[in-house]
Amino acid sequence: MIGIVLVSHSEALANAAMELALQMVHGTQPPIRIAAGAAGGFGTDATAIASAIDDLVTTDGVLVITDLGSAILSASLALEIRASTHQVVISDGPFVEATMAAVVGAAAGSSLADITAEASNALSAKKTQTVTAPDASAGDDTAAGSPAASAEERLINPMGLHARPASLLVLTAGEFSADVELTNTTAGRGPVNACSVIGLLSLAASRNDRIRIDANGPDASQAVNAVKQLVLQGFGELS
Amino acid sequence: MPETLTIDAIQQWLHRFASEITTQADWLTELDSAIGDADHGTNMVRGTAAVVAKLDVRSTSTVQELLKAVGMTLVSTVGGASGSLYGTFFLEMGRNSPSSVQLDASELENALRAGVNGVIARGHAAVGDKTMIDALEPAVTVLSRSLADGRQLHGSIAAAAAAATTGRDSTEPLVARKGRASYLGDRSAGHIDPGAASATILVAALAASVDEGNAR
Repeated sequence: MIGIVLVSHSEALANAAMELALQMVHGTQPPIRIAAGAAGGFGTDATAIASAIDDLVTTDGVLVITDLGSAILSASLALEIRASTHQVVISDGPFVEATMAAVVGAAAGSSLADITAEASNALSAKKTQTVTAPDASAGDDTAAGSPAASAEERLINPMGLHARPASLLVLTAGEFSADVELTNTTAGRGPVNACSVIGLLSLAASRNDRIRIDANGPDASQAVNAVKQLVLQGFGELS
Repeated sequence: MPETLTIDAIQQWLHRFASEITTQADWLTELDSAIGDADHGTNMVRGTAAVVAKLDVRSTSTVQELLKAVGMTLVSTVGGASGSLYGTFFLEMGRNSPSSVQLDASELENALRAGVNGVIARGHAAVGDKTMIDALEPAVTVLSRSLADGRQLHGSIAAAAAAATTGRDSTEPLVARKGRASYLGDRSAGHIDPGAASATILVAALAASVDEGNAR
């Protein structure tokens, strides 16, 4: 599993971001270390970041997520002074959103490269939902062709496809080898990769929106069925 | 006749840097309160005091070892951008110093240049961005030119310190383009950059230590 180091000027901020993200994880939690504050106050400390990275030496790689400018500076120095040599990437994603994407991705067993891309792209969901966003069609550059399995269902849970159901969907889709894509056919957004929590959030799918599930791969129909069941059950959010 | 900076002179430089930082801490913090988070004086006092404490208990055998130890101490005690940047300065100086007990003029020049280049690489700052680079870059440039012109080490370091002071003062009208002050935009103009101010103290402390007859 991938490890995560949260680098913040504020320990309270880092702890809160971690807790918020861990709300999305219901199975094994990914290893997370916090390197926040410096000399008892606000700041970042490269030696603390280096030991946090060294502490995660048994993971399959580490993503470092930073808040304000000097956090990046301290993180880059930490890469030079650390004792370990395992793979480490400093994310350029926004702190809270990237933490969410990385924690969910790591819990789903994604690779460091995939989680890095997810975290980097973590602003796209917010951009889709603001009025200034120019274009909401995220990731629809894949070649057309009929998928091996498809289904279309209406979202029935009150809050639509928000963060918790999105992370549940990522975990479910991640259990299959088939590539699963979701499209919000009501709003004309997508398709997006079902293993991307940020991609799913960018669908901005509300209650009663119709969601198309497409899958390609050896277990495509099982994957579509599993995702369909989640949607039909309102992601367990129906009281 | 080769001039050298002994390990004792380097230690004296660091002691002098720490005491000057302490003397000017309130001013540094005042500068930082105008465009930052008002902790530069406090942070530098804490870091340089830790360096002095380390010098007192630990005997380092080579210049390289001494400068690296100073760098690591600053990284872990100053905090924030200043800790990483001053830490990088001394770590790079150390990495580019010989494993000996003294530096000759060209070795000192190389080490200082490497330290400044390390800071530039770490912070991606250039002259005119209203950072410590506005003091450090002209200082090492003047040092190199002066040594190339055949001047003595102590005279060349004094010229470098003067160049740092000029560079520091040049930051006053600038709009910050790096660090947290850059969020202030035009409001950052009209204040000397605190990092350039502490970096000038660093170069001035070196000049004073060389002047006291440690360069032979």
